[in-house]
Amino acid sequence: MAELLSRTEAEDFLYREAELLDEWRLPEWAELYTEDATYEVTSPTTADPVNADPDRTLFLISDRIDRIRGRANRLMKKSAHAEYPRSKTRHLVTNVRVIGGAEGGTRIRSNFAVFRTKEDTTSVFMGEVYHILVREAGELRIRRKRAILDLNSLYNQGRLTIIL
Amino acid sequence: MALEDPQWALVQADPEKRSFRVHRSAYKSQEIFEREKALIFGKCWLYLGHGSELNKKGDFVTRRVGGRDIIFIRDKSGEIGAFFNTCTHRGAKVCRERNGNARNFSCPYHGWVFSSEGKLVTTNANGGYGEDLNADGHLDLRRVPRLENYRNFYFINYNPNAISLHDYLAGARDAIDAVCDQAETEQVILSGEHSYSIRANYKLLVENSYDGYHLVSVHASYFDHLRDQFAGTPAASMIDDTIASYNTRGAARGLGMGHAVLDSYVPTGRPVAQWLPSMGAHLKAPIEARRAQLIARYGEERADYIADTQKNLVIFPNLVINDIMSITVRYIEPEAPDFIKVTAWAMGPAEESEELRAMRLDQFVSFLGPAGFGSPDDIEMLEICQDAAQHTPVEWSELSKGMDWTDDPRTLSSAPDNELQMQAYWTQWDRVIRGIEKLERE
Repeated sequence: MAELLSRTEAEDFLYREAELLDEWRLPEWAELYTEDATYEVTSPTTADPVNADPDRTLFLISDRIDRIRGRANRLMKKSAHAEYPRSKTRHLVTNVRVIGGAEGGTRIRSNFAVFRTKEDTTSVFMGEVYHILVREAGELRIRRKRAILDLNSLYNQGRLTIIL
Repeated sequence: MALEDPQWALVQADPEKRSFRVHRSAYKSQEIFEREKALIFGKCWLYLGHGSELNKKGDFVTRRVGGRDIIFIRDKSGEIGAFFNTCTHRGAKVCRERNGNARNFSCPYHGWVFSSEGKLVTTNANGGYGEDLNADGHLDLRRVPRLENYRNFYFINYNPNAISLHDYLAGARDAIDAVCDQAETEQVILSGEHSYSIRANYKLLVENSYDGYHLVSVHASYFDHLRDQFAGTPAASMIDDTIASYNTRGAARGLGMGHAVLDSYVPTGRPVAQWLPSMGAHLKAPIEARRAQLIARYGEERADYIADTQKNLVIFPNLVINDIMSITVRYIEPEAPDFIKVTAWAMGPAEESEELRAMRLDQFVSFLGPAGFGSPDDIEMLEICQDAAQHTPVEWSELSKGMDWTDDPRTLSSAPDNELQMQAYWTQWDRVIRGIEKLERE
């Protein structure tokens, strides 16, 4: 069993992830993920979103590594119309907790608020994230990331075209 | 106001010039929106929900349809009903949940209780009412005037004298059949939903939902992603081959009554029976087996149509059933001339295996929904159309592509990247909004 990360190590990593996203360095963000990684956002109405299975219920986002890279690459293009002109985003990551070991790594629970401004409209996405971070060849990587929104719909935000 | 009032001549067809255009006030005017609420949403059949959402007695969902809040419920005898979600006493909503299971509804304000059949069971009053207070049932939950279904798709109509749903759906029944017949048992709404919003008129999303012309320009980045996924597989050249031949196969077909379907061929893979290497080798045999079953049930021609053709169906005025890389049932609720709420569900055969179900949901989120690689780019287009319609003086939108008819486009066909389907929609819209098409029983 690999040794668990400390909270400080986890925080440093999550802040680094947030920084890459806010600076729109999305291909570098995709490189944080392992080959067997998943990045998921449950639908706001999903029952038991922590344990829900994207093979059985409709998620907003359920990406394996090919689509994680595809999402990052797409958002770099002018032809990704939904994010052109690009949004400004600010990821706030708080309440970071190391909650145990899982899948050869450390399971981290954190709260987030992401502010997104597209042209003159600002919306907020808030909720919590479960990460599983693993060490590969000396580097920390994301094996799992599941974001759960504290929303009942996207009626106020419209759409989710940034990465949480 | 007089129906012939020229201010309502918002849709202009000029066969000589092969011109079909729509006045942009139809997308932005509050006055026209109010008229639509009365004449379109007050008289057309509107999608309420699918029977598979109410599996058990007492299951209910609450939904806003055409601006009215509805409880859609399977009552304790198993019958499906639709009620307005308001207490007949002083008006409070009797149900505040989005879905659930209930034996009855208890109004939180004064405690009136209604059964799942809508009957007023008790007023919880200690005197003060006459014995015959509800003898005529007028204090029961108010039923929606009409509720009918076609193959488990439930629609409501606020006009008691409306024509039947069967007649209203016209040629769209066959298009619904092509979706339903994929299942050996029945098609069901799958777990989960996407609820999102768009700052645009509802008709802009309708137009976009079966628009073949926008595919290459709006979805270039999605096709880039598919090319990356197919690189090095036998499907590598499929994207460009299919895009090059897009206009030579399929059709946009008017189905009568303003409904239309776009039949087209795009190599996104289809859970019903079109396997692609990107889905994984393990799915090749099960998908081919499904095609064999379709051929056995319906013969080769119909099976090929069901399996291979992408179908973007719009049922007038605001229901979209897109049977493309996955099936989505998409309901559009207009909240204002420039704001809509959208609820979209995934649909699949009840008997589907776990691995095919997983692939179907994966295909869905790859493109569809507010976080997919496709729909958000469409949404951006609708929002910039709306913004420009409201903030520029240009009066007309041009929907002339493929305009080669002289009389009535509503049951005609045209090439997949023409705009015949929109001409059919707007012709119906024009006739309903002017009161020419009454949609009522004789």
